[in-house]
Amino acid sequence: MTLKKYLAGSFASLALITLSSGSAFAAGHSCATDSMPASMDKPGGFPARALTMVVPYGPAGGSGQVAQAMAQAVTELTGVAINRDHKPGGSGTVGMTAYMATPKDGYSVLEHIDDAASAHALDSSRPNPAEDLVPLVTSQITFSQIYIRANETRFNDWESFVEWVTAQNGKATIANVSKEGSMERVTMKFITDATGMQIQQISFDKGAPRYGALAGGQVDALFEQPGDVRNFLDSGKFKPILTILKERPSAFADVPSLTDVALDFDPLFRFRGFYVHKGIPADRLEWLQWAFQKAYCEESYQKFNESKYMTLIESFRDTQGSRDLITTTIGQYRDVYKEMGLEVK
Amino acid sequence: MNAFDNFLQGTVTLFSDPINILIFLGGVIGGMLFGAIPGVSMLTLAAILLPFTAHLSAEQGIMLFSVMYCTGVYGGAITAILFNIPGAPENAPTAFDGYPMTKNGQAGKAVGAAVMCSALGGVVSTIIMMAATAPIADWAISAFGPPEIFALVFFGLAVAASVGAKTFWKGWLSILIGLMIAVVGLDPVGGIERYDFDMPYLLAGIHFIPTILGFFAVSEIFVQAEKKVRGSYEAPKLSVDFPSLSELIAHKFAVIRSIVIGFFCGILPGIGATLAAFMGYNEAVRWSKNKEEFGKGKLEGVISSETANNAATGAAMIPLLALGLPGGALTAMMVGVFQMHDMQPGPLVFLTSADLVWVVFAAMFFANCSILLIGFLETKTIINLLRIPFQFLAPLILLLATVGAYAVRGLTIDIIVMFLAGVVGFFLRRSGYSIAGIVLGLILGKIGEQTFAQAMQMLHFEFSGFFDRPIALGLLIAGVLTLGGSIYGAFFKKSAAPPTTGSDTPPPASG
Repeated sequence: MTLKKYLAGSFASLALITLSSGSAFAAGHSCATDSMPASMDKPGGFPARALTMVVPYGPAGGSGQVAQAMAQAVTELTGVAINRDHKPGGSGTVGMTAYMATPKDGYSVLEHIDDAASAHALDSSRPNPAEDLVPLVTSQITFSQIYIRANETRFNDWESFVEWVTAQNGKATIANVSKEGSMERVTMKFITDATGMQIQQISFDKGAPRYGALAGGQVDALFEQPGDVRNFLDSGKFKPILTILKERPSAFADVPSLTDVALDFDPLFRFRGFYVHKGIPADRLEWLQWAFQKAYCEESYQKFNESKYMTLIESFRDTQGSRDLITTTIGQYRDVYKEMGLEVK
Repeated sequence: MNAFDNFLQGTVTLFSDPINILIFLGGVIGGMLFGAIPGVSMLTLAAILLPFTAHLSAEQGIMLFSVMYCTGVYGGAITAILFNIPGAPENAPTAFDGYPMTKNGQAGKAVGAAVMCSALGGVVSTIIMMAATAPIADWAISAFGPPEIFALVFFGLAVAASVGAKTFWKGWLSILIGLMIAVVGLDPVGGIERYDFDMPYLLAGIHFIPTILGFFAVSEIFVQAEKKVRGSYEAPKLSVDFPSLSELIAHKFAVIRSIVIGFFCGILPGIGATLAAFMGYNEAVRWSKNKEEFGKGKLEGVISSETANNAATGAAMIPLLALGLPGGALTAMMVGVFQMHDMQPGPLVFLTSADLVWVVFAAMFFANCSILLIGFLETKTIINLLRIPFQFLAPLILLLATVGAYAVRGLTIDIIVMFLAGVVGFFLRRSGYSIAGIVLGLILGKIGEQTFAQAMQMLHFEFSGFFDRPIALGLLIAGVLTLGGSIYGAFFKKSAAPPTTGSDTPPPASG
């Protein structure tokens, strides 16, 4: 199954909300795990103490925030405390390595993002999150967009942007996280190959300098996910000119999608989820799956996801759904890496 | 309503609610305490408190963090002065002259100067912040891109190359060692793995906080322990003599210069108080007629460093509030506090939550004022820590430093790095190399490498592109002239060569 087909099903079944509309949760929409039991007995008293969540990024970034929100939701649901252990560095490698060294008793949970999938795609000695770990839940899936300054005068939409960039002969710039093999760099390759335009990618590993570069006119455009630049969108500073999805989400109904501008490639997604070791006792695994999947629909977590624009496409995947998402993503990355001439180990 | 009326309104809101007053006082005292305890910092306190801010109003949560920010930056000066252990990286240059002052029996004077100058730097930057947040933020992000920040780093390294080293070569070698350490781990732009020796934990790079703790705290304990064993240990002399007003007025130009430097560094996203403190100190040395007195316990060294780092606190709030761009770890956590209350910092905050903004401004103003009051009261008591016998104090400091090193990223390797830096620092101190130079090379190296690579991408890999950007060009020329001046001073003007100094105090910088 391709990622496109997989997500198409989600599109059909999910009510897309608008940016200004109220909460889908508060408005009484159903949530993905409403049918799961409201409570579950602790198997053999597990967990008898607080869980530890290893987070491979700092507390203030996107991963740190989703870890905090999920930990809070699980605690609200089960009464079990979760201590977050942030181990940032090495694009998630350090946290993953630290997690793999923890005991396989179900007391340690890992938060990770799609970087784990792309890292495995490039180097198969890195853990495959779909096979070497058990995904409990994927709780955030989002798409990317291309932004320009709202008061930009040289171009004002995708068509004029492409025309202007092409005329600059490679001198135009876009801010993103263009590390080797990253989702951003791969997607930009899709776009530049299809349009024929050349654009210099400027890599900023932290959000603030990246957004500041566009706001201050240091670069011509920005590649980002909508939840991360929401304050700039709400304040009218930034303007999206392309949504990197096949279809337009209703929140961005006036922004062209890939289909609208005749870009024919399967979009890559940013996703975040929670994992445990393979081989933990089955009853403990079942309880953890219930706790994390049910917590996804806790009011506090849904509010958090809405604040991050994470409800524009379905963010929920259960264990099997997460495995499919990761496996498909790894396959996509591998194909592109080979095409890009990168050494796939 | 004009800014002054808004400020009064914010003040009334702040002090008319007893809960607000309690949170304000908690932030002031908590920031000072966590800043002052070696090994932990205001960031530790902020990380602990972050989830609890969900139970406060947005106003109270942001106010608490901004107050902790102001007083935490000051708090780290106390241990830097009394024990040569900077409470935070931004207090490292304070130790250069502050600790020698303690050894000279002038601890009270050094701490008093830190109190007054931290308060002054913080108050002035808060006033500027209140007067012109939006236009300053817009100017900063428009005028300063990666090429300008790289040029600033180059200038900073050129100025700092001779801080703490006996010779020109040893100064530059110290900086280069720091730069070498900075490249361990993933390259910040392309994500290429470097010098990890197949150890995944090294991919995270060498963090500067364990390095600072090792070079300053651990090596100092080794030095003092050696003296104790040899029977030459002398407990620091206790004094609570504060600097006189005339002494401070005599340093008015150093204060003004450091406020400008600190404010300027503070408004640049990702730069902040650490660079501000180093630049403030370096410029003090550069402009001084008595360069040889720096590193031996010169009051101006403490004044310049502490004024600059607190001036950066108000400035760092400008890009955060006006643009939603956090400049450092604590301001990034403030974004988390905003988000917990369904808010985003940025231009809309001024429109939709003006009350919140002005309560925060008022709280920062009074937090800086309270440094003056509580700082003096605290100083009278905290100096008595020097009475604790070394054999009891040293293990406590080592324990706290170990906890502090581990707390940064939860990695055991950081504790190993800290002790390694301690051993290396112990030997480097007696060899004429500069531990300050290594630390500065490490801190600036990470910023410099990233901004250089970004600048090259922006300038299409043509170095001549720097010549088309006046601010970057000006800073590069200033760096080259500074470098030329130090070469001239070291090789052609023998009489101006910096004198050698004791084993554990840095000699002066030259420029």
